[in-house]
Amino acid sequence: MPSVCFYFEVHQPYRLKPYGALQVGRDHEYFDDGLNAEVLRKVASKCYLPANESMLRLIEKTDGRFCISYAITGVSIEQMKRHAPAALDSFIRLIKTGAVEIVAETYYHSLAALYDKDEYREQIELELGLVKKEFGQTPRVFRNTELIYNDEIGRYISDLGFDAILVEGADDILAWRSPNFVYRVPGRETRLLAKNYKLSDDIAFRFSNRAWNEFPLTAEKFARWVHGHSGAGDVINLFMDYETFGEHQWRETGIFDFLEHLPDLLFTHPHWDVLTPSQAIDRYPALGDLSFHRTVSWADVGRDITAWQGNAMQQRALSEVYALGPEIKRRNNSHLLALWRRLQTSDHFYYMSTKSSSDAEVHDYFSPYEGPYDAFIHYMNVMKDLKLSVLAPSEKQIGL
Amino acid sequence: MKILMLGWEYPPHISGGLGTACEGLTTALAKRGIQIDFLVPRVYGAENAPHMHLLGADSHRAIAEERPFRGFDALAKLIALEPSLATDPIFTAAVEGARAHARGAESLLRTLYVPARLKPYLDQTTYRELLRSGALRESDVDEILSTQIAHPIPGPPSHRLQHVRIPGESTREAGPATGAHYGEDLFSEVARYAMAAVRRVAGEHYDLVHAHDWMTFPAGIEIARRIRAPLLVHVHSLEYDRAGHGADHDIVSIERQGLEHATRVIAVSYYTRSLIHRVHNISLDKISVVHNGVYARETVEAYTEQRGSKGPVVLFLGRVTFQKGPEYFVQAAARVLEHVPDAVFVMAGSGDMLPRMKELVEDLGITSSFRFPGFVRGAELERTFSTADVYVMPSVSEPFGIAPLEAMSHDRPVIVSKQSGVSEVLRNALKVDFWDVDKMASQIVALLELPELRRVIVERAREEIRNIHWDAAAEKLVPIYHSVIHG
Repeated sequence: MPSVCFYFEVHQPYRLKPYGALQVGRDHEYFDDGLNAEVLRKVASKCYLPANESMLRLIEKTDGRFCISYAITGVSIEQMKRHAPAALDSFIRLIKTGAVEIVAETYYHSLAALYDKDEYREQIELELGLVKKEFGQTPRVFRNTELIYNDEIGRYISDLGFDAILVEGADDILAWRSPNFVYRVPGRETRLLAKNYKLSDDIAFRFSNRAWNEFPLTAEKFARWVHGHSGAGDVINLFMDYETFGEHQWRETGIFDFLEHLPDLLFTHPHWDVLTPSQAIDRYPALGDLSFHRTVSWADVGRDITAWQGNAMQQRALSEVYALGPEIKRRNNSHLLALWRRLQTSDHFYYMSTKSSSDAEVHDYFSPYEGPYDAFIHYMNVMKDLKLSVLAPSEKQIGL
Repeated sequence: MKILMLGWEYPPHISGGLGTACEGLTTALAKRGIQIDFLVPRVYGAENAPHMHLLGADSHRAIAEERPFRGFDALAKLIALEPSLATDPIFTAAVEGARAHARGAESLLRTLYVPARLKPYLDQTTYRELLRSGALRESDVDEILSTQIAHPIPGPPSHRLQHVRIPGESTREAGPATGAHYGEDLFSEVARYAMAAVRRVAGEHYDLVHAHDWMTFPAGIEIARRIRAPLLVHVHSLEYDRAGHGADHDIVSIERQGLEHATRVIAVSYYTRSLIHRVHNISLDKISVVHNGVYARETVEAYTEQRGSKGPVVLFLGRVTFQKGPEYFVQAAARVLEHVPDAVFVMAGSGDMLPRMKELVEDLGITSSFRFPGFVRGAELERTFSTADVYVMPSVSEPFGIAPLEAMSHDRPVIVSKQSGVSEVLRNALKVDFWDVDKMASQIVALLELPELRRVIVERAREEIRNIHWDAAAEKLVPIYHSVIHG
């Protein structure tokens, strides 16, 4: 009996304000509170609230046969509490149905996995603590920031005791294999669930694209594509940003109608059902090991990490922020630590990307700045000020 | 398709970007099978334009009309006092002509009457200083001005307007205050050009008349009317760009006539398109944008160049006039120096605002961080670009702006004002509102302090300028020609 597994990413960064060189040494407020509040409220009203409402209706209507999973980053929970508490409440209500599994990730949606493993573990533990506190769950499944993954990360997460990891079903990694089976971290019992990027991106990216030859995508058509995999796979993993519903794809595109009709249509085929990641690994055996010899992500055409560290500016900014780690931690100042960690959020580096062509359009869409150069300038000015203040004789000077 | 193109200058006899633009555009059009007769005020014989027919508008003009000239001594004196003038093409052309005249070679004398200077490189203040110092007699200056190498005179618009030449008028004001920022007899030249142009193309057939900038608009209107061909006017810059609110009313009115008579208007940028709409109330539907290109050429590796100063160098290069926003550069410099005290600011160029800029630099107490090398050209220009760490174009109003592309071809990172056409086509430049001197300063500091920023910008810019070429401009223009002719 094959299954569909839904996973949605919920994340909003703390965006920096335009921070010029002349502010260094004078201004220690780095984040654009106004913009962050505005974005959060907008996303809450366009996506979180209406999408959660749809999900709740679907779960109740199907008596939990329709179930879903989320990772909700710590920084987005913090911001929801401040700017849109109703959105957080609606997630909590949804989770109480029992048909929602919470997947772990890093609290700060950072790239710490690639730079500082101790910091990485601490951020995962922070997220686990928050998930337990807010949602009462202890996640068994992990997903790393932007599905960034390689064998080393796999072993590290396995050592932390997770039962499964969500990964990108990149063609060169899968080679002749199908993404629609459960795999294993080589040499470990930890399972891998690979995203079916074709079907996932049909919804997340192509849904409203009029130039796409399958436009318009109806729930009937999509269910037919899913059912077409009968006998050729165990689980179809549909992983995407939660903002797909109502934000990346506006309500006017019909995305909510699509969502509301999809479960019924999936269930018209008697063999198919919907599972959460934990249910999927409990039901289906691992078909074999899946080795990731290179670092993969779910971003851009290349499914690699060049979106965050593809140019010299990004590499400089990343090495800058992680080099501060020991100094920051020596201070034993929780405010300072949180500030530094917010500066690790991967979005900051994504905004500095200079990748061209179709990827650039996606990057521009998400960036609050005029371009990658401004993003880098603001970030480095903030770093400079942070270093000045960290190294300053008295932290009281800047109110830390 | 055979078209008549009306220009005002053509390389190598150019004073501004217009001649270069015409050369690039016509070459690319010819490659696409467009037959072009290009009409310029005068053909010197040194132009290299095998791709089209170059017509001189004044071939019927009698030598006798020309004024006797005795200015050679005065010119030589000027060069002795201001050596940088020796490399100014217009100036050297004048000297050459004067020398030839002294020898009695009338044929060369004609080169003296370059009818107008769109973008004069020379500096009126130089003359004023020379006058004050007694190095030049007023009559010498008078003589120089009569050779059409007149220079901008700052002053309120009302003051300037009374000096504007009325076509056909032969008397002229005494003294160096010639009025507008153009040559002395510009309006009569424009009228003469129109008449000569009409005569020159009588009996020819063209599918379309394409006129570049306001000086050719009267000729374009008249020719298009007579041969019943559609008129396309191409705006490379507006009087508003050059003079702001001190715009010359006569020029503005000629501009408007051309825009109104045209079947279609071409603007060199969206910036210029909206300016045409705002200043002249021309419907946006009528205005198409065709961005300029640049000639593909090898980028210059110049990191090893010896530089005169220890600190990093920030460069302004262009006319020191209202349009180019030099004061914003100075204001930004003062802010940069608080963070990068050893930075050196070079303001290369001359113009009516130069004395004011020197005063401002003094008032701000940053004289020791500033260099004013004056007008630079040739090898000196190359050296100036290659010793700079950052190039800034803070223009208040720039229809396109080719200089940043020049700086990019020298592997320099550039900052351009958002009030420029070139900012529309560049991704790999930092952009700033000309008045936002804090941000401008921040961008300069960043470029000086962050080698990664410089590296990424320079590498990507090198790639980018290769794609800003005239073929792309011609690709856009040819369908416009077709729609104008057939629609």
